[in-house]
Amino acid sequence: MTLADAVATAVPALEVRGITKRFEGVQALRGVDLEVRPGEIHALLGENGAGKSTLIKIITGVHEHDAGEIRVAGEPAEFTNVRAANRAGVVALYQELSTVPTISVAENIVLGEGAPARAGIVRWRELHRRAQAQLDRLDQRIPLRRLAGSLSPVQQTMVSVARALSIDARVLILDEPTASLTDTEIADLFQVLRGLRDEGVAIVYVSHRLEEVFALCDRFTVMRNGQTITTKPVAESSIDEVISFMVGREPSELFPDRGTATDEVVLEVSALDGSRVRDVSFAARAGEVVGIGGLAGSGRSELLRLLAGAQRRTGGHIRIGGAPLRRQGVGAALAAGIALVPEERRSQGVILSAPIAENIALANLADVSPGGVVSGRRIARLAQRGLESLRIRASGIRQPVGQLSGGNQQKVVLAKMLARHPRVLLMDEPTRGIDVGTKAEIYRLIRELAAQGTTVIAVSSELPELIGMSDRILVMHEGRVSGELDAATATEELILTHAYGRDA
Amino acid sequence: MAQSDTLTIPASSFRRDAITGYLWQGSTIVALVLLVVVFTVMGRGVFLTPSNITNIMNQVAILTIIAAAQTVVMVVGDFDLSVGTTATLSGASASAFMLGGMPVPLAILLGLGVGTLIGAINGVLVAYLGLSAFVATLATMTTVGGLALIVTGGTTLYGMPEEFSYIGQTRINGVPMPVIYAIVVAGLMWLVLRFTTTGRKWYAIGGNAEVARLSGVSVRPVRFLAFTVAGFLSALGGIVLVSRLASAGSASANDLMMFAVAAVFLGMTLLKSGQANIGGTLIGVAIIGVVQNGLNIVGVNTYIQQVLIGVIIVAAVLLSAMKKKD
Repeated sequence: MTLADAVATAVPALEVRGITKRFEGVQALRGVDLEVRPGEIHALLGENGAGKSTLIKIITGVHEHDAGEIRVAGEPAEFTNVRAANRAGVVALYQELSTVPTISVAENIVLGEGAPARAGIVRWRELHRRAQAQLDRLDQRIPLRRLAGSLSPVQQTMVSVARALSIDARVLILDEPTASLTDTEIADLFQVLRGLRDEGVAIVYVSHRLEEVFALCDRFTVMRNGQTITTKPVAESSIDEVISFMVGREPSELFPDRGTATDEVVLEVSALDGSRVRDVSFAARAGEVVGIGGLAGSGRSELLRLLAGAQRRTGGHIRIGGAPLRRQGVGAALAAGIALVPEERRSQGVILSAPIAENIALANLADVSPGGVVSGRRIARLAQRGLESLRIRASGIRQPVGQLSGGNQQKVVLAKMLARHPRVLLMDEPTRGIDVGTKAEIYRLIRELAAQGTTVIAVSSELPELIGMSDRILVMHEGRVSGELDAATATEELILTHAYGRDA
Repeated sequence: MAQSDTLTIPASSFRRDAITGYLWQGSTIVALVLLVVVFTVMGRGVFLTPSNITNIMNQVAILTIIAAAQTVVMVVGDFDLSVGTTATLSGASASAFMLGGMPVPLAILLGLGVGTLIGAINGVLVAYLGLSAFVATLATMTTVGGLALIVTGGTTLYGMPEEFSYIGQTRINGVPMPVIYAIVVAGLMWLVLRFTTTGRKWYAIGGNAEVARLSGVSVRPVRFLAFTVAGFLSALGGIVLVSRLASAGSASANDLMMFAVAAVFLGMTLLKSGQANIGGTLIGVAIIGVVQNGLNIVGVNTYIQQVLIGVIIVAAVLLSAMKKKD
């Protein structure tokens, strides 16, 4: 009997059946199945919002599920917190929380089981012996006394894997572990993971990088819209097939007709450089809606922030209406007619404690202050106009924005920026966290603005939205524009192909 | 369409009727009125006399100026621990210059300059170098306190020219000059905070600095300005104090920092949004003044006053937390 046969007949290390989960009106998971065998590396794939993170949180006891069953090594497992999951050998490692930076490597490794102590006094020799044993198992040479915060990203990942091993993990869940690693570091990590697989550990591997999945994993499960689409051995599939599993959604009817673009070029960007953005050039015309796609971390948001002056550009030129934008900073960009509706509404878009009127006035202080004296009447008039034209549902302009729904908060941000009559409106995830009805309103508004000659540039992670609202789509990959598509003929497959940096 | 997009209105606005609602919202003012009533009754006719009211106002005038400085910084969402020692050093410097033979107006200007400079240093540390306001102003508080000891030689400076005392000791129609300064400063700062773009920007930064930045506000210079203004106002308070007392102690205004913070905190409880505001600060100052003066009249040990003021602050802040939850 081969190893593969033995693996296939064993009791699954982790078995998930029919899990459902509802969050405040949103059905996040609607019947998810997942089976991971001991000694296999199993990829969990899906677009942003497909439900992967929710599933992991349910498996590890962060959230409780509404219905369905979880079994660990054949035993029913209902974890109510992370510690309980860890005790049962289920450990999830999140990229951003891998180690405690201010304590030593050895202390990080024994963090889960607790430091060995006698009468409350730490037995350092024993602690270091245990930590070293785990590092040896991974064949890693990392000084035990170093502060974890001073390690390279891959060493930190190794330390967190060692910690998982020290509490005897049988199911190890890795969420995007390679996001900040170099190619050689990734190779090191893969070697360690293969070693653990051969010891019989079940590994769930979440990644957006499909090449890695095909290089490392044994089987994969694709999720879409909170459901399991399929589970297959990697050897019997292809990247293109996985992408089609991940997409496969019906186009929505939320979107108004296109066709408002003119020939007048409003925005010209050449060789723009900045944090996470390299050598981006493009032009956008009056009345055009340009969608920007790409994976999280591809530089989409950073591109918008560079254009809006919210981040320093280190090279390249921006011309608006033919005139070069020389000064840095949000104020200069706004003055030139570029306005940004930022990604994080609650922390970047609105002052939650302040009334609607104050929020709308904030980007328009010069307008409401003739002769430098702020006029309450002008603020009220400006805010009232915004309230009415965007149909913001509120008790009045004095209502604090924090009391509004997400959709109405987003409209306040829009009202604030539209009061400046921007020539170029930048929108980062314009409909994130907004109900479907308000989404449709925002798509209509975008198209109305375009019809009036505004250039709209919008970043979106949701592919149907990207295709539906845009005239043209730029796809980014690792800071560069990797593809340009006509939205009328673009497909989700095509966008993902460019987003993964693969030539079509 | 978007009927699901309902708005939330705090249930309390329906639960309570208007009058009790206002009383609840204005409970800090109610507390002030109660204190006045209590001391009027217990003070056997001394408390609520014109001369004692003038007395209270004179006692809190300098605190008002320094509390106005603290208000500006707390509007921006920071706070300034150095306002007290800045006032002390500015007053002491001006006195030392005068004692060294410098003309009075010039000495006053230089004293104001010292405080403004300290404020500007705080501004650079916090706004441009990114230190937390706590750390930066704790450091300047200590340093400046030390400088005040050096300038005064650890003793009290006195013997300043006659015309200097005019600033803090004369009365106009029976109203002491410090009270007039306090009214002017509070009025000006109220106007600045309410009617200038700078004031609105201060409030916006205090609400959420990142939102302000992305709305085109140049956050760093505006925050820098708040600390600089606070330094200037503290210096003004310190110089008026020295003139009123006709002497410059080595720590004369240091304690005012804590009372200023207390006054602003008390004032913040007046607004639902919990923002610092000049009107509220004045109420806070009044509460502190009434408690100090009233306890004196009733004959309570001064040490107990400080304990009571601490208790009042905790009560006020708890109350405002309860209001917010509502």
